[in-house]
Amino acid sequence: MSFLAPLFLMLGAAAGVPLLLHLMRRNIATRVDFPAARYLLRAEAEHSRSLKLRNLLLMLLRVLLVLAIALAAARPFLPGLGVGHGPTAVAVVVDNSSSTTAVVGGRAVFDRLRDATRQLIAASTTEDRIWLVTADGRVRGGSRDALLAEVARIAPSEGAGDLGLALARAASAVQGSPLPARSVAVATDGQRTSWASASRIALPLALLLPSGDPPANRAVLAARAEPARWTPRGSVTARVETRDSVGYRIVIGNRTLSRGATGRGEPIALRASPPERGWQAGRVELEPDDFPADDARHFALWVGPPPSVAADPSAGAFAATALSTLVADGRAAAGGALRVASADALSALPALIVPPADPVRLGAANRELERLAVPWRFGTLDRSAVVARGGRLDGVAVTERYRLVRAGVVPSDTLATAGGEPWVVAGAGYVLVASRLDPAATQLPVRAPFVPWLADMLSLRLGAPAGDIGTPIDALPGRPIRLPAGAETLESVGGSRRSITAETMESPEERGVWFVLRGGRRIGAVVVNAPPEESVLERWNAPALAARLGGATARAASTSVGWVGDTYAAGATRPAGAPLLVLALVLLAAEALAVRSSRPTAA
Amino acid sequence: MESTRAPRADLFDPTALSALGHFEIVARWIVDGFLSGLHRSPRKGFSVEFADFRPYQPGDDLRYVDWKIAARADRWVVKQYEEETNLRATIILDVSRSMDWRGAGEEPRLTKRAYADQLAAALALLLLRQRDAVGLIRFDDLVRTSIPPRARSGQWRRLVAALAEPGNGRASDLAAALGQAARLVTRRGMVILLSDLLVDVDAAVPALRGLRAAGHDVTVLHIMDPAERDFTLAGEARYTDPESQLDVPAAAADVRAAYRTTVDHVIAEWKDRLGALGAGYEVILTDQPYAIPLRLAFGARERRP
Repeated sequence: MSFLAPLFLMLGAAAGVPLLLHLMRRNIATRVDFPAARYLLRAEAEHSRSLKLRNLLLMLLRVLLVLAIALAAARPFLPGLGVGHGPTAVAVVVDNSSSTTAVVGGRAVFDRLRDATRQLIAASTTEDRIWLVTADGRVRGGSRDALLAEVARIAPSEGAGDLGLALARAASAVQGSPLPARSVAVATDGQRTSWASASRIALPLALLLPSGDPPANRAVLAARAEPARWTPRGSVTARVETRDSVGYRIVIGNRTLSRGATGRGEPIALRASPPERGWQAGRVELEPDDFPADDARHFALWVGPPPSVAADPSAGAFAATALSTLVADGRAAAGGALRVASADALSALPALIVPPADPVRLGAANRELERLAVPWRFGTLDRSAVVARGGRLDGVAVTERYRLVRAGVVPSDTLATAGGEPWVVAGAGYVLVASRLDPAATQLPVRAPFVPWLADMLSLRLGAPAGDIGTPIDALPGRPIRLPAGAETLESVGGSRRSITAETMESPEERGVWFVLRGGRRIGAVVVNAPPEESVLERWNAPALAARLGGATARAASTSVGWVGDTYAAGATRPAGAPLLVLALVLLAAEALAVRSSRPTAA
Repeated sequence: MESTRAPRADLFDPTALSALGHFEIVARWIVDGFLSGLHRSPRKGFSVEFADFRPYQPGDDLRYVDWKIAARADRWVVKQYEEETNLRATIILDVSRSMDWRGAGEEPRLTKRAYADQLAAALALLLLRQRDAVGLIRFDDLVRTSIPPRARSGQWRRLVAALAEPGNGRASDLAAALGQAARLVTRRGMVILLSDLLVDVDAAVPALRGLRAAGHDVTVLHIMDPAERDFTLAGEARYTDPESQLDVPAAAADVRAAYRTTVDHVIAEWKDRLGALGAGYEVILTDQPYAIPLRLAFGARERRP
């Protein structure tokens, strides 16, 4: 039992007044002349038993009456007695993660959860303390009306949120309340992946998990432009989860690049050379189903002009031929921006560098490398036959190579190895190959991957435009992201903008591609997609999830009525003021009846 | 149709009536009213042998004014007649301290003593007007007054004068009073006892039995204040009998029902015991109009041969 106004219990001391009067009756000082006192004496003698019982009853009625009034004034709350519910601190966790937009039985699960939450808050009293916690962990407090307005404003998020964090914050809010009854209410679709990281709370928990099976879902689990920078050619790959054949569409910018159908386990791949230039937004879409949130996945890419390339005669005939092929195919342009040359013939970077044909020129070559700040040197000649490893160059035979010796600490990438040693390395403005592009040194020039490899090296490694374009930043909705230095604004495909106040900020909630602007120019892109696991709609069993989150005492319901009851039953106390007042009235009536029975009737 | 008849005093509230004049005068009004309500001649069957003159008093019937004397002497006298008496009535009036009490209520009431005095006076006058001999015994712990029954014209004044004498001894000795009555009324007659009967019934009944054995008609008018009947007092107090000093602490509300039951038993006991003797018994409350006890007493007289 608990009391809202325990000071009023002091009124209970007044219960001693009837008792005192009852005892003081034996010591009455007032004298009244009454000639028929003998009848009075006889009446008391003849009815002593009933008079004592009656006096005792009256005394008890009056004592109980005073006690009932005092108790009612103290506003008690008793288990199992009374009406409504006692003052309860309730934190309501509303799962508004993306998965709740799934349509079950013709209605989105989120709509059911929101309606139930509305009912729960509407059932609260002015003495309750209610918090509303959404899947992103945001906690909202306030009056009942304010929270009802908040519920109306809640929309499904674009991501999975962090329901574990939301539950922990809900428990923390409730635990800080001085109210005796505390409860955490959770309304969720019970998605297994959403609650994977949640910890059990030590509070009464009421779980609402609407009945019904999740819909069969088709989802784009991954979509990516490869490489991220197209000059201007590249490919889009996507992975789709579907049980049967489903139509898809690939869009870059405002153009549909491709339509098709794919089946279970079949990857989607598209090579393209779009005419657009600069940072572009793309997406892979499926035919809509009952869970539309994952029917599209976004990606970003940079599309630039083909690199301008010139082959130096020192690079050999094979390099010149390959470059002419690329130029003819439009994947490179004739010019002098990029050079393919032996190290001793270099004058500037960027360049694809090969060793000199004449070993006598090796010293000059290394000096040139030093002059151009390339952190590698050609070492001793090695004519052992080895096989190259790394990317497109896997399995290429190498019969003659210079051992590459590192000169300096400037970081660089090893793109391929031969005999366990660096064979192709790359850094800022250079790609260095340790063998001549000649079949006498390596089979690379006469292998099929040679031309595509060369195109990649020129466009991706060497053909980057001035400035740091970077790669697209993959982000989850509302999660922290680190933006490029100097970024000023995020701009959506639709044109809406958000100012950037720090290098680290929360990503937008809205899924899609957000371009990073600096000085009005796009310098990168943030791609916001829901996590792929959000597409897995498999659910927890309601009792199992309740036990996982709240232990053995947690209750699970599939209807809002049951859930509301479970939530407010957690405190197990109800206001007993009204029943006590009714009891007081009954006692008063009984006392009046007992007194009236001894009054004279009208003549 | 509006009645032209004067209001009957015997039906008035006793308290209001007592405020209109001395109880001697009031007694006349009561008796006149009572007799007029009988719808019969008050003189029917009476002897008309002249006995005496007396000065005229307001209220006297003008038919008995001696007009010759009035014409000669210019003074009004009323002729009185010595009529035959066929009844000797004795009124025994309790004037003990317990009779000098009235309950506090919303309406002021007469004390039992005042009510009984007025009733005794009216009874005496009524009987005297019927040429009956009327005597009076007043008692408390002693017999205070003892007037033998007479039917003379001066008897009424003697009785009225006696009623004005004090009483209020501490206790009631009803047996002594009844014994005195038995000695006073040697011929068979009527005995009317006006008392609150706060006496031992076992002691009173043998004395009443003696009267009945002597051939007297006995009518007991049990005078009670309404507060004694229903215990309408309020509050918690020590209720004390002024005669015996019996002291009973009680809360009125708590014992009221039991008290009423007990009083019912007491009244039933008196009624049974007196009924067994052949004596009449009625409870008279002091807020009742005098017509009620008068009719009871007159009824007893009418039943006499």
